[in-house]
Amino acid sequence: MLALRGIEKSYPLAGGTLPVLKGIDLNIDQGEMVAIMGSSGSGKSTLLNVLGLLDGFDVGSYTLGDVDMSGLSEKQGARYRSRFLGFVFQSFNLIAFKTALENVALPLFYQKVARRERQQRAMEMLGKMGMDDRADHLPSELSGGQKQRVAIARALITSPRVILADEPTGALDSTTSHEVMQVLREVNASGITVIIVTHEADIAAQCDRTIRLHDGVIIEDGRSGEVVEPTARGANTPD
Amino acid sequence: MFNRETWIEIAHTVTANPLRTALTGLSVGLGIFILVVMQGLGFGLQNGVQQDFGDEARNTVWVRTGTTTLPFRGRQPNRRVQMRNEDEQRITEQVIDAPAWSGRRMMWGSTVGYQSEQGNYPIVGVEPDFDDLELLPLMGGRWLHADDLAKESKVCVVGENLLDELFKQDEAIGAFVTLNGITFRVVGHFSKNGRWGNSMVYIPLTTMQRVFTGSDEVDQMVLSTGDLDLEGSTAMVEAVDGDLRLRHSVHPDDQRAVRVRDNQEEYAMFERIFTGIRLFIWIIGGFTLLAGAIGVANIMAIVVKERTVEIGVRKALGATSGSILSLIVIEAISLTLISGALGLIAGVATLNVVAPYAQHDYFANPEVNLRVTLTALVVLVVAGAISGLVPALRAVRIRPIEALRYE
Repeated sequence: MLALRGIEKSYPLAGGTLPVLKGIDLNIDQGEMVAIMGSSGSGKSTLLNVLGLLDGFDVGSYTLGDVDMSGLSEKQGARYRSRFLGFVFQSFNLIAFKTALENVALPLFYQKVARRERQQRAMEMLGKMGMDDRADHLPSELSGGQKQRVAIARALITSPRVILADEPTGALDSTTSHEVMQVLREVNASGITVIIVTHEADIAAQCDRTIRLHDGVIIEDGRSGEVVEPTARGANTPD
Repeated sequence: MFNRETWIEIAHTVTANPLRTALTGLSVGLGIFILVVMQGLGFGLQNGVQQDFGDEARNTVWVRTGTTTLPFRGRQPNRRVQMRNEDEQRITEQVIDAPAWSGRRMMWGSTVGYQSEQGNYPIVGVEPDFDDLELLPLMGGRWLHADDLAKESKVCVVGENLLDELFKQDEAIGAFVTLNGITFRVVGHFSKNGRWGNSMVYIPLTTMQRVFTGSDEVDQMVLSTGDLDLEGSTAMVEAVDGDLRLRHSVHPDDQRAVRVRDNQEEYAMFERIFTGIRLFIWIIGGFTLLAGAIGVANIMAIVVKERTVEIGVRKALGATSGSILSLIVIEAISLTLISGALGLIAGVATLNVVAPYAQHDYFANPEVNLRVTLTALVVLVVAGAISGLVPALRAVRIRPIEALRYE
């Protein structure tokens, strides 16, 4: 489903470059639920951004489905993001002046879906998230957990093959985090690949697989129960 | 690009911060409003002066004499210089080659009577060319003929006001009126704009001199400069001025004893003034519009900066740079267009309200040049589009991840 080969990524700095990803090789299959962990500066968010076509890479190849994602134009990148990928952010990133329904329907607008169909599908998706009674509410009128449910509904509205979640529970209390993870597990159970960047071990433990990065390199990759807790390694400090 | 969703988004954005939007709109609207009003006032001034000039042909020279203010060749000041028929004859036959001319003698506040009606009107003695020199539009009957002057006929041509005030419903042509008690026959009537135009009663100059003044004195002399350009008319003025000063022993620097006014020169001077005024209006208007455009650029820069994260989110959700660019530019254009249109409407409305109360000798019909104003509006909209385009281009160049990280 997702295949990275020798991915390298550097950021320009005054007087040189800062290598962030140093030769990442990674395969993620359809329907997997993967946690990416690592200390601050390990490159986990950059990796997620590369996977989400939000950021480019300098060296290597990236295949999404059967399509090579190297050297995509800005417009092609937007199209693939719209068709294959869904995003969930730590700070929800709902558009403040749009209602929950309008936020969820927005990705369909960029796919040029007719307004009536957009609204119908968005309402159905909100219903699946148990948020249909909040359809007309603005983000400011929703709780953190409700905002993240709306954000997940927005990520799912285009029927993506992959959901990329950057610290999806980072701004939530433990109860709400549990609810959100339950939703993501249900999403994954429907066959959608879910990739979560997190620094919380209990979140990672709810995934099938955990990948640990350190200094731009994958240092561990295995079933979630098998990857050693960062505190036990004594090497990494959570973000 | 122009779908309902786009307009809803624009409406959301502009109403999200109503005070800021209103102030920006005000700066744009005020720019157009000031431009419209200033243009209207400029045109009003120009119309007023042109209307005033419209009383007289532009290619005329008006000669007046007065009292001397300087001693000259043994003569004391405060001496009355009086033009006479011989001056006119000499000047038109020997000094200059004028295609048309007329002496003019005026009696203010004369009593004009028709049957039981009477009133006070100025009576003016003139010569046959005068209607062309003064641009008198004849509405009925005829103008004064050379034969009327030769025979010193008691005929007159009356202004439109007399028709209303004395003749009421009666036919004026052929009717008899009394001018200071002397009976005259009305041979024509005219209609003319201006302060006194329609209250004048014109009679042959020779008749006036015979019947009323008992002398060959004339108050004024009007000379046509024909096809002469400004240089030619100036030469004519100098020749007439020089001759009168020589004949009447007037000091060359005495400005009050002999006054020769060249309409062509005065009109050219007013033209220069109006060119200056128009330029001034454009400069002020241009800077006002620039201020409005800067206001829009400022708000768009702030809006785009505030929405950087949102732009990142939209990109992550599949928005292309083009769709974001068009959204921001349409927003800038809409803001400019709506504010500008409101300013335009307010400006035109103000002029329409003010116009009836602002009629003056040198101010009339403060009209709006719609073509110029619409051009200004288009310029402003283009400026608005550019104002939105610059920050929008900067925003869409940011990669989605940079936009999402933006604080």
